[in-house]
Amino acid sequence: MNTKTIFKKALLLAFITCNTLIFTSCDNDDNKVKPKTTGSFFLSVSGESAEYIIQTDNLETGNLSIANNSKTLEMSGYTWIFSENPSVAVGLIYQQGDPGIGLGYAVNQDGTLHELGQFQISSRFTSYGFFDKYALTGVGGQTPVDANGNALVDQNGNPRTDGVTFNFIDLENGLALQEKTITTLNITGNGEQATFSGIVDMGNGEFLTGLVVSQPRGADGTGGASSGTITYPDSVWVATFDANLNLKRIYRDDRISYSSGRYRSQYYSQTGKADNGNVYVFSGSFESTTTKPCGALKINKNATTFDPSYYFNIEEKTGGYRFRKVWHITENYFMLELYNDLIVSGLGAATQYGIVNMETKTFSWINGIPSKDQITATGQPLAYEGKMYFPIVTENDDPAIYIIEPANALATKGISISGATNINAAGRLIYK
Amino acid sequence: MAKLKFYHCLLFFLIFNVAFSQNNKISSYDNDTRKDKIDSVIIVGKSKVREINESAYNVVSIDTKLLYNTTLSLTQTLDRISGVKIRETGGVGSDSQISINGFSGKHIKIFMDGMPMEGSGSSFQINNMPVNLADRIEVYKGVVPIEFGADALGGAINIVTKQLRKTYLDVSYTYGSFNTHKSNISLGHTAKNGLVFQLNAYQNYSDNSYKVRTKLLDLQTNNYSTDEYWFRRFHDNYHNEAVIAKVGVVNKSWADKLLVGITLSQEKADIQNANLMKIVYGGKERRAKSIIPTLNYEKKNLIVSNLNFSLTANYNIARNNNTDTLARQYNWNGEYRKKGTKGEGQYSLSEYDNKNALIAVNLNYRLGEKHYFALNNLFSAFVRKATDAAANSETSNASTFMQRTNSKNVLGLSYKFEPNKRWNTSAFFKYYGVNVKGPVNVSTTSTEVYEEREKSFNTNGYGILMTYFLTSSLQIKASFERAYRLPSERELFGDEILETGDVSLKPENSRNINFNISYSNAWNNTHSVYFDMCIMHRDTRDYIRRQIEQRYGGAFYTNHGKVVNAGIDFEARYFYKNKFSAGGNITYQNIRNMEKYDIGGRELIYYKDRMPNVPYFFGNIDANYNIHNLLGKGNVLSFGYNLRYVHSFFRDWESEGGDIIIPMQLSHDLNATYTLKNGKYNISLEIKNITDEILYDNYSLQKPGRSFSVKLRYFFFNNNNK
Repeated sequence: MNTKTIFKKALLLAFITCNTLIFTSCDNDDNKVKPKTTGSFFLSVSGESAEYIIQTDNLETGNLSIANNSKTLEMSGYTWIFSENPSVAVGLIYQQGDPGIGLGYAVNQDGTLHELGQFQISSRFTSYGFFDKYALTGVGGQTPVDANGNALVDQNGNPRTDGVTFNFIDLENGLALQEKTITTLNITGNGEQATFSGIVDMGNGEFLTGLVVSQPRGADGTGGASSGTITYPDSVWVATFDANLNLKRIYRDDRISYSSGRYRSQYYSQTGKADNGNVYVFSGSFESTTTKPCGALKINKNATTFDPSYYFNIEEKTGGYRFRKVWHITENYFMLELYNDLIVSGLGAATQYGIVNMETKTFSWINGIPSKDQITATGQPLAYEGKMYFPIVTENDDPAIYIIEPANALATKGISISGATNINAAGRLIYK
Repeated sequence: MAKLKFYHCLLFFLIFNVAFSQNNKISSYDNDTRKDKIDSVIIVGKSKVREINESAYNVVSIDTKLLYNTTLSLTQTLDRISGVKIRETGGVGSDSQISINGFSGKHIKIFMDGMPMEGSGSSFQINNMPVNLADRIEVYKGVVPIEFGADALGGAINIVTKQLRKTYLDVSYTYGSFNTHKSNISLGHTAKNGLVFQLNAYQNYSDNSYKVRTKLLDLQTNNYSTDEYWFRRFHDNYHNEAVIAKVGVVNKSWADKLLVGITLSQEKADIQNANLMKIVYGGKERRAKSIIPTLNYEKKNLIVSNLNFSLTANYNIARNNNTDTLARQYNWNGEYRKKGTKGEGQYSLSEYDNKNALIAVNLNYRLGEKHYFALNNLFSAFVRKATDAAANSETSNASTFMQRTNSKNVLGLSYKFEPNKRWNTSAFFKYYGVNVKGPVNVSTTSTEVYEEREKSFNTNGYGILMTYFLTSSLQIKASFERAYRLPSERELFGDEILETGDVSLKPENSRNINFNISYSNAWNNTHSVYFDMCIMHRDTRDYIRRQIEQRYGGAFYTNHGKVVNAGIDFEARYFYKNKFSAGGNITYQNIRNMEKYDIGGRELIYYKDRMPNVPYFFGNIDANYNIHNLLGKGNVLSFGYNLRYVHSFFRDWESEGGDIIIPMQLSHDLNATYTLKNGKYNISLEIKNITDEILYDNYSLQKPGRSFSVKLRYFFFNNNNK
């Protein structure tokens, strides 16, 4: 009888415990209402489990919590680019093997977010930028097909890999996406194929892109790349295309190596346009076989050749450090992301930053940002009103925006985001 | 909210009304009840099931024979066990994830007759297997016996296939909605001279053409519609075939059992959608096949009496293909536009070969009547190689095509002291050793250079457990294990291209505690009850996590994290003669992140948050009513009902401000079975999801709506064919 009493008590106790646990936990979970941020600055922020958008009107100071994000995204891994006119944030994504869902956002009069639509991106992309009324992405190394969908093959019967696929995302037409593919076999007349890197709007109905000219990508792949062995590491090619992807012009020179920053399967843009319309073509000299130091050439506005009188040997100014990424800030100022070691390797870390003035051919290391061995991650910077707003993460602090003054290469710390693992990108949208 | 609370209350009342109303009766009945009375009702015949359930482990053993007339797969059967949750991504053949008390994936291990199933290929997995293949299923939660030699952090599932009988034949065929056909034949014969033969074969086929509600892609603009519409799935055909054959001898002086066998299986699955359902495919496929030769030897009283020996060996050869070659882009209307390049997603013809050898040796010895010793050793060697370079695509590199091997040895020792039938206690010790080999990039320039590297790793685990029968009806159990999962070759090595390895990694580890109390009783052969409650605690640390840091260039693995799960589950069941039964279970697990700081020492915003994307409150209710001797002696007509409930949960950390939830799931199934001639002929009808709810186990991946099926089964069994 005794055990029965104990048993009954245990039962009751269990019942009460379980009920309490469940009902209290319910209340905890479901009734939290978190205020959402608004504002014209758009930050793409990573949490541990998802990606979010945070908005603010002030990047200069303060701390915001990731919990107050204005939007949780369905997918993670977006690359954000920001168009000025129309004022639109475009989120690009491609997941390994699966298409991604592109997003477009504008900001309303009251500072809240307005989703313009969702589009499907079915091809990978390694280059992106704006051209005419389009957000444009591109990727090389694709297998082109004939009208029946059969792979084009080389003389050995293997599928070709010289296709380059572009996505034209129409900012004025509800983010309608058009996919176009061209082939690049023998594009430079030397039997090689090309992968494209970077997109610069020339303002005349053409865009310019850097060419990574190589042999076909081997079947065994090379670091997930779209390009194969580089036969001519001491030459640079860039090309311009019109909106129908007709090749308009090829610029070639032997003073620098190809214009592209490489990391795994990525081809980072190393081309950029100064405020006066001159285009600078950089080369970070990634290829270990090149004899050329990292540097830059210039294409004067509307010119059809590289400026023969302009050459900037950047490597001699950096003390031998080569760079991977290039961003335009304002006027003739560009920001460089440099490798941490003098010898460049495929997975080499790059967390050093400097400013180049392309006109005066000067280089300065940026002061006021964390040191190269403290930086664990960085994001896509925003060039705004003559300054660079650069997201940086260090091991011990909340991810923060550093505001960089290009003239003196000095940085100050701005807004930080608590609870975030990274600020992936910063941009600005106009209230409308 | 109000609706949810209503369902909570409903669940509790249903379960506890059964439990408590019977509990009141308990006191009014005589104490002099015997367990064997209830056995005839609860557990039809099979003492092995009861023996396991009454062991000191927190284990549930299901007698699958009671489910042979249902159309359930083995995984769907598991979904009805407390603490266990199955999450499916779609219909027949879709991916299914099993979790035991919140552990899933690499943290739990699945065995068939004691052999790990990891290497047997996706064509031979339990989510495809008919329930008729198994005699019983054992689910060990948190504490795993040494007989299952694996680094299972959170538990193990063992499928026990049909045991040898004299002569039997079991044939069934199921036809159901969405053009689903399933059939199964199993037969066996043991001759007088000891020769045995056993054959199991099954087949699954389905178009999975159920309707889903999602957004439509405009093929002109590549824009998604704002509204959602209903579409019928058009590229989700699945088929799977498997044959398991064994021949051998039994009852010889040199072998109690010696069987050699072979398992052949294959599958082909169309892939209809990506991880988000709005991304749709029209030509993507995956295929798999596997060949598994097996050997099983058992000898009791080897050399000395009471020393039993068994040896099992499997060699798994599995091949997987993924194909994405169409130069098209589809939408949910089944329409497409032509693309300029190969592949709907990423051009792929990839092919992977996995080879896996397993040898398990078990020795057990009884000293006198009270002492039991056991030793178990499982050696496994795993080789993986990508075979087809054609287009393993852009994300591959040279190391993709290099061979990776992983050999593992798990040695277990246990001692059990059983002074009498009322109580016993045991302790066990496990030694885990692993040796890995794989390619590593040793280049210091931008060109990759690979070398093969080798690394060994070992650790020890242990556990203790005991059980005590307070009365013949009331049993308590307690168990503890310090459990480990060893790092894989990828985690130890990385490949130095995409990832940097870390040979100083620690194994993931967990301290698992269970406390069970169960009660069963019967009165006058009329009413009987069964009741079980488990309180569990899991303290899991040193998760192996992939990190990416720009200052180091690539990704690397590190140990980080602490997750604590304090949970409770109940099961209650009532039987009225052999006419009516009702029961249910409910599981609540409070799984929280208890790691306060990130790797860099910053305070985590989701400290003490519930683990995201893990169901934490769920339950089942079932009821069954039998009409005996309908239109003939030995005929039974039975009606069954089943309810499945899963509380809504967040996909992401709640404190991060993630507002995406997987909504509450509540579905009802009905079935009717007519059994003739004492089970020789059976016909069953089933309606699943009768209210046609939109069901999701995973974010955005909708499961089938209402479906119908009919199953015909013939069963012949003869144990006396002398």
